[in-house]
Amino acid sequence: MATYDSLFSSLGLEQWCSEGKSTGPMSMADLLNKTKGESAEPASIWELPFPSMDALNESCAAFPQSRELTKGLEQGFLAIKDSLSLVLDPLTQPLSWFLDGALYAMLNTPWWIVIPLLLAVVYLVTKSWKLMLFVGGSIVLLAFIDHYDYAMQTLAIIFVCAFLCVLLGVPIGIAMARSNSLQRMIIPVLDMLQTLPPFVYLIPLIFLFSVTESKLYGIAIILYAIVPVIRLTNLGIRLVDKDVIEAADAFGMTPRQKLYKVQIPLALPNIMAGVNQTIMMSLAMVVIASLVSAPGLGVLVLRGIRNLELGVGLVSGLGIVILAVILDRVTKASLARINVSQKQ
Amino acid sequence: MAKNIKISIRNLYKIFGPTPDVALEHVRKGMGKADLLEQQRHVLGLRDINVDMKDGEITVIMGLSGSGKSTLIRHLNRLIDPTAGEIRVDDEDIMNYTGEQLRKLRRERMSMVFQKFALLPHKTVLENAGMAKDIRGYTTADFEADARKWLARVGLEGNEYQYPHQLSGGMQQRVGIARALVSDAPIMLMDEAFSALDPLIRSDMQDLLLELQEELQKTIVFITHDLDEALKLADHLVILKDGEVVQQGDPQEILLNPGDPYIVDFISDINRARVLRVRSVMSQPDDGDTDFAGDIAENDNLESVLLKSEGDMALNFRVVRDGEHIGTLHMKDLARALVPTAASAERNKNAA
Repeated sequence: MATYDSLFSSLGLEQWCSEGKSTGPMSMADLLNKTKGESAEPASIWELPFPSMDALNESCAAFPQSRELTKGLEQGFLAIKDSLSLVLDPLTQPLSWFLDGALYAMLNTPWWIVIPLLLAVVYLVTKSWKLMLFVGGSIVLLAFIDHYDYAMQTLAIIFVCAFLCVLLGVPIGIAMARSNSLQRMIIPVLDMLQTLPPFVYLIPLIFLFSVTESKLYGIAIILYAIVPVIRLTNLGIRLVDKDVIEAADAFGMTPRQKLYKVQIPLALPNIMAGVNQTIMMSLAMVVIASLVSAPGLGVLVLRGIRNLELGVGLVSGLGIVILAVILDRVTKASLARINVSQKQ
Repeated sequence: MAKNIKISIRNLYKIFGPTPDVALEHVRKGMGKADLLEQQRHVLGLRDINVDMKDGEITVIMGLSGSGKSTLIRHLNRLIDPTAGEIRVDDEDIMNYTGEQLRKLRRERMSMVFQKFALLPHKTVLENAGMAKDIRGYTTADFEADARKWLARVGLEGNEYQYPHQLSGGMQQRVGIARALVSDAPIMLMDEAFSALDPLIRSDMQDLLLELQEELQKTIVFITHDLDEALKLADHLVILKDGEVVQQGDPQEILLNPGDPYIVDFISDINRARVLRVRSVMSQPDDGDTDFAGDIAENDNLESVLLKSEGDMALNFRVVRDGEHIGTLHMKDLARALVPTAASAERNKNAA
């Protein structure tokens, strides 16, 4: 006798209950109960169980258990998996090419070309010798302790993913800024992407793609890191001075002219702040993505955890911090340059 | 010479709210602004506006904040669409314009100057001045000479390659005016263009505008809340209150014959001698042998005549245009015109 037997009998469903048998897998609690014998009747109102799926199942075998919910979800996903990957596989294939290409280029170009090239880019976007020297010193340090290859792999992945985030995120942000209903639809998705624990969306990706393909971690990183650039593009365009927009209208700008001549240039500081955030979040995710075979410093961190190699974990962790500082300072410095030319 | 009517507004209504058409019916039946807000939850922007703006004149629309003057000027280039009514520019109803026609109107026939300047912060002064031409598809090389000319004309020679944030407010608004001039549009809309400037610079800018207008003869629609500014600039003055036209006409006429207690209130503080002009108070030329103390021009203000007469109320002046005697100014009439309106209204009441 279980607590809610009377419920089903009063509804006249005893027949239906005895016919079916819930097919949920047996849980540990069930097993324990079986060995202990019949579960005891609740002694008082204080022990009344919540009428949850499992509690109702006890009274009526045909009622599904909650484990069947997760199982159903899994089966549903597996059922559509093949057709889904039929569509997604070719669609995301370029991502694999980009990532493999970038990794190959980074690792097969000699260090004495890559390091000066990186420094030249740093100088170009920041126009600061001090920052360039700092970046140079950091990379040389990493290379000296034989972490050069790992660091370059991490950088290559970040470059590709952040670039794609901007490529996809800025147009989405612009579209959001232009339509309130689109904004209402996308914001919950962004909220979800941002709050879902990063490990969670690795799971369906593993089902969909082979772990040997680099797009698996590429997609995980992009999904995680694209949020700030979308948000800040949307915000930046919505914050453009209404008076300037009115002037653009009054002088007869077309919507396209308004976008390219007014809205994007005036929103640029915000968009760049979003790019900075996106790069930082790619770095955070690239470490987690080493769980699904992303190369780079994350692999060493993982090794440190798995084998309890304290030194390996600490040194590679520190390497990630150095990369983070470099990326942050460089993007912030170029952001500051844009801000100066935009002062109202 | 009667000037052509450039812009004509007929029976214009604007009501803000979710269902303006329903509210419009109530307004047409005579519901006031306060009642409309209370009972219908709609804001009455403009009620039954009829204004004709003549070619080559400065039409000043004056009112306090909330009177609907900024709403009105935005109807002229349809930045705001009316709830009902007709707006005719060059005798075409612009309410029937397609998007493309409207854009052409805004690009080629109207320019606008804004209270907060609304310059592009990431463009140089030169590029800002040429914005209208840039929108039409010209390159910087095409409009550079033009832009430089007008920038020099408004006193910004040498600032061409600076950015707006490097200029003072007055200079930024000069860029705003140059931008409107470079567009070559015959109509210039000025929305409280000088209100954000300090008084001294504002006066400079008013002089600059009058000087330019002398030369260019554009149709200017000027919005202001400052009566002195309105009287200084206006050929035609429209006074708005709570979205309705209280009185419109020649500013001198309004000053001498205010048609509403609201306007009497408004004009009670101004220096009448400085604003009123000889032509408004002079009488027909007498054929008799009056002694003239001197010659004055019809557009001299009364203050200058007072100065000339040194306060002697017995004198008469001859009003001359191009050497021709067109009228006579008796100092007695001048003194009468300077009596404040509030007092004259009081006097009329006593007499009645």
